[in-house]
Amino acid sequence: MDYLDNIYEAILDGDMGIVPTNVQSAIDAGIPVSKILIESMIAAMEEVGRLFQEGEYFVPEMLLAAHSMKAGLSVLQPHLVNTGIEPIGKIILGSVDGDMHDIGKNLVAMMLEGAGFKIVDLGTDVSAAEFVEAIKEGADILGLSALLTTTLPSMESTIQAIEIEGLREDIKIIVGGAPVTAEYAHQIGADGYAKDASQAVKVAKSFIN
Amino acid sequence: MTMTPRENFFTAMSHQQPERVLVDMGKHIGSIHKKAYVKLQQYLNDVPMENADKILDRMAQTVVPDEALLQRFGIDFRWLVPNWVQVKERTDVDGYIDMWGVPYRATADKDHYAIDVLCDAPLKTATLNNLDDFNWPDPYDPDQFKGLREQAESLYKNTDYVIGADAIKAGPLMTALQMRGYEQFFMDLIADTEFADALLDKITWTLKAMWTRYMEEVGAYVQLAYVTDDLGSQTSMLISPKVFRNRLKPKMKELYDHIKGLADVKLMMHTDGAVLPVIEDIIEMNVDIINPVQTSVQGMNNTQFLKQQFGNRLAFHGAIDVQHLMPNANLNQLRWEVAKRIHDLSYNGGYIIAPCHNIGHDISSQNIVAFFDLVKEFDTDPSALDKVLASKQSYFANHN
Repeated sequence: MDYLDNIYEAILDGDMGIVPTNVQSAIDAGIPVSKILIESMIAAMEEVGRLFQEGEYFVPEMLLAAHSMKAGLSVLQPHLVNTGIEPIGKIILGSVDGDMHDIGKNLVAMMLEGAGFKIVDLGTDVSAAEFVEAIKEGADILGLSALLTTTLPSMESTIQAIEIEGLREDIKIIVGGAPVTAEYAHQIGADGYAKDASQAVKVAKSFIN
Repeated sequence: MTMTPRENFFTAMSHQQPERVLVDMGKHIGSIHKKAYVKLQQYLNDVPMENADKILDRMAQTVVPDEALLQRFGIDFRWLVPNWVQVKERTDVDGYIDMWGVPYRATADKDHYAIDVLCDAPLKTATLNNLDDFNWPDPYDPDQFKGLREQAESLYKNTDYVIGADAIKAGPLMTALQMRGYEQFFMDLIADTEFADALLDKITWTLKAMWTRYMEEVGAYVQLAYVTDDLGSQTSMLISPKVFRNRLKPKMKELYDHIKGLADVKLMMHTDGAVLPVIEDIIEMNVDIINPVQTSVQGMNNTQFLKQQFGNRLAFHGAIDVQHLMPNANLNQLRWEVAKRIHDLSYNGGYIIAPCHNIGHDISSQNIVAFFDLVKEFDTDPSALDKVLASKQSYFANHN
């Protein structure tokens, strides 16, 4: 099997012990780092997303793959700096005001990172003002998360605050989380809705291309 | 002759038609948020309600419902709630550390507490070798079930209600995820099965010991034991059915068999989410009743199918959605939904109608009261079910 296949398979298997070794071997063999990143690592995470959507992978498999990707990236990172490869977009993420749940959001962050995005994770219980400040520093997409039905109104008020600040045209907004529906996303003026982490990658990519 | 709630319960649990559909509210994961309770108190000004400050579940900030309210709503169940013990208050923030060492903090608006993601999970760095060194909860704490024997005995002798032993708030999977940290334990389940099994064993042993103490106190008086865990997410199982069967199912069955061996009780298991792929397994785990039948998720919304497929072996508790329906539905839509779930699930017994989860403060008092009144309305006139269903006023059919 060739170097790229080895990395691809190890990420799919979630074998984070072996991925860094495989990445190092590929670098040593002189394979261009951009090729390693795109054709093995990002490609593997895309397959993970597909398997999740198909119901073959669940949260544990997805986490193992994402952490394996991360372990591989840490080997690749020093070499990437010199290649001029840019992230495909910058995404701000956070759980909305009053909501301190972050498992879903973290999973979304990992999958987006695995797809080549740069992530600015503002954490949980993030106020509208904090989101606004982060947008002012520049980003392509904002992802808002909520687990509780009672914190859903914070999602709407965050979008309103962004509108009031005159920043709405500068950013695409994707919302998700247990009680969120496509209908609700539309109703509060979001640009997209993702029912899970794999879907979030698809929607985010559609806004970049 | 009119059957008592307890007689109705036994009839429904033997999958025969009870006189009325049983209705429940008031256990943890199944009560009313304090803010909704205050509004309800004003709305129902003829019902004496004093418990708005009496917190049932500190995390969710729900209330121990007043007896007068339970009577007003026609609730067939009375729940015993274990005492909140071995909890440490935090001094750095408004928060606490529960008996399993898991740190919680309040949201800024004090609406609820959630696991403090800024702190490390208590077993984050634990290994197989030092797992026993952790300061595990004392399952024999005399304070945990103090007063419950008297309460249970009094309810048993002086009322006809179904008496339920509310959960020690933990199940093997959720507790392991919280103690180890969600991400790490999810990965342990595949990448370090030896550690995962050891942790699950330790938790299961502790829970079994607690239930032994609990049933020593109240086993003679309760008809129902309530255990909680979470196996599903909004869109799928949290873990694959295969991992569930290999790692979780044996431990959960061990716990449930233990409880059923301690007292003559029916066992109700709580799991949120899309758990259709493992309902057959849940039946094999000797669960009698599944709660909450989260009708807002794929697979669990088809209650007609659930009843046909599993109804002669499993009873259902819940099915009235609190994520979308109760906060948003108008009276006609609420009526249709209540009729639909009674129609699908209540024939040959085996159904206890209830909201799927806690009633949040995004649900109006009007809809809370309407729900319980609708149940009574259909009790009085079951023939109204078909007429209502013919109106096609389904909330979910018009929203997605």
